[in-house]
Amino acid sequence: MVSETKLDTGFMKVNSKKFFLLGSFMVSFGILIVTVGGSWDITNHLLSKPETFFSPPHGLMYTGVAITLFGVSISAIGWKNLQNFKREYFTSIKIQILGIGLLTGAGPFDFIWHSNFGLDGLLSPPHLTLITGMFLCAVGGMFAISRFLKFNNISNSLSYLHVLAIIPVWLSGSGLISSLSLPFSKTDYFDFNPEIRFAFIIATIFYPMIISTCLFLSSKLSNFKPGMFTILGGLFLLIYGSTAIAPNFALVDSLIFYSLNLIPLVVSDLIISFDKSKKSLIFVGGLIGSVFYMFYYPYVMYTYNEILLGKLVSPSLIDYVYFEIISQVIVLTIIPSIIVGIFGLLLSEKIRKKIHLQ
Amino acid sequence: MKKILFFPVIASLLVIYFVMSVFVLPEQFLEKEQLISQPYFEAKLSKSEISLGESTSLEIKSKNIGEYGDIHIVSTAFPDIDNTDSIIKIVSYDYLQSPIFIQKGDEISINYSSGLEKSVSKYPSIEAMSRPSIPNVPFSMTQLITPQKTGVFQIYVKSINIPHVNESSHFPNSGNMDHQNEFVEKFEIFVNP
Repeated sequence: MVSETKLDTGFMKVNSKKFFLLGSFMVSFGILIVTVGGSWDITNHLLSKPETFFSPPHGLMYTGVAITLFGVSISAIGWKNLQNFKREYFTSIKIQILGIGLLTGAGPFDFIWHSNFGLDGLLSPPHLTLITGMFLCAVGGMFAISRFLKFNNISNSLSYLHVLAIIPVWLSGSGLISSLSLPFSKTDYFDFNPEIRFAFIIATIFYPMIISTCLFLSSKLSNFKPGMFTILGGLFLLIYGSTAIAPNFALVDSLIFYSLNLIPLVVSDLIISFDKSKKSLIFVGGLIGSVFYMFYYPYVMYTYNEILLGKLVSPSLIDYVYFEIISQVIVLTIIPSIIVGIFGLLLSEKIRKKIHLQ
Repeated sequence: MKKILFFPVIASLLVIYFVMSVFVLPEQFLEKEQLISQPYFEAKLSKSEISLGESTSLEIKSKNIGEYGDIHIVSTAFPDIDNTDSIIKIVSYDYLQSPIFIQKGDEISINYSSGLEKSVSKYPSIEAMSRPSIPNVPFSMTQLITPQKTGVFQIYVKSINIPHVNESSHFPNSGNMDHQNEFVEKFEIFVNP
């Protein structure tokens, strides 16, 4: 007679792949929820100055953390029982576990920080721990999902699942860049605001790089499936538009301006579907890098305002100051952002090779 | 798609994008009239003449009677005292953020500059605040005042909305000025022995 334990073990072994994949999707989805909550939290702080830790955006963020924690657990159980590719998936599970360790540790750390020093700014030790944990979980989830799709030769419409694997990496990476470049980190106790020239350099290099790397990676991992730039980029615009622009009454009109960003995405898809030569890809890399100031509307303005105008910008004046400096920012950043956009293309190839173990 | 059609289509789309994003729409947004929020308040003392040891209450009702704004502030200041301890007590309060007690000697914003120009407070004050400032939503605050000396006890009341755009962004617009070089409405309590 087969014991119950053996049956359980058998069930786990048969379904380990499904568990591993499901867990990894939950990790990516959880981080997506955390990043959406995080972006909403920044807007909430600007508009309503919440005075308590227990705010709706924080609720959404920690719901995401719970989903991620559950996902990592399922993923780890699945990985432990895998029959094939166990070694190949080890990196992804290792990154996920490291990430969730930081993420779950950041919760109580944040609460203690709030209790002792009041509300913290965007960059603080607990927030940096949280964002780093988010980024690592997202990267771990992306590696797991992308390798799974590759090892199982999934190249049909399911390869659009790469979008769900990459969007949390893009959003959490953007969170990291924002925390190191936006002047939102001065409180009564600490001034963690980045030095204005340092912030300028960080924003000008890393925003275009992350846009370009993520979009090219999605396209390459899916073997240039049509529309990847538009789907992934459109999702980014939708999330950013609904959490950073729509909640601010004074910015609602500018959603038309923001939606124009679909054009370079569609154009990139058209170019890649027409011609995948090196020249075309370099052109697309430069194009995508050059539009970062429009993609990161409205908050990116705060970084450039610090160095160009130094104005005090209250939330209803964000669009006004943003448009006041747009030409100056474009002139100053167009060349570096194009170069970095092209570098993102090269970086995406390196990451693709790493994911595909080539 | 034929090359002859493809390149003009791509070029046209990119020209439309950059011209609209960098030149046309920014110009339109900069020409757009800015929203101007306008604070207003009514304040009254329950008794303007009291005996030493007695209390009187100051009730303030305020709102934004203009357009959407970011912050609605009501400030009460007390030029005849050095601290508010056991003299001023907030009895009721329904503004969205907690009141801020500003002590004598604290750094304060002046000239309606929203923090760009600063000075040092000469006397204590209390700031009530609601963020954001939605039009026509009323707020109120009641303070219980127990002067500790005979004579005249003065209270300065003012309201400011941020962004401060022009003179309708503050109330009152004329009269006495306080240590922030901003207009105030003056209330007096006569304290008898």
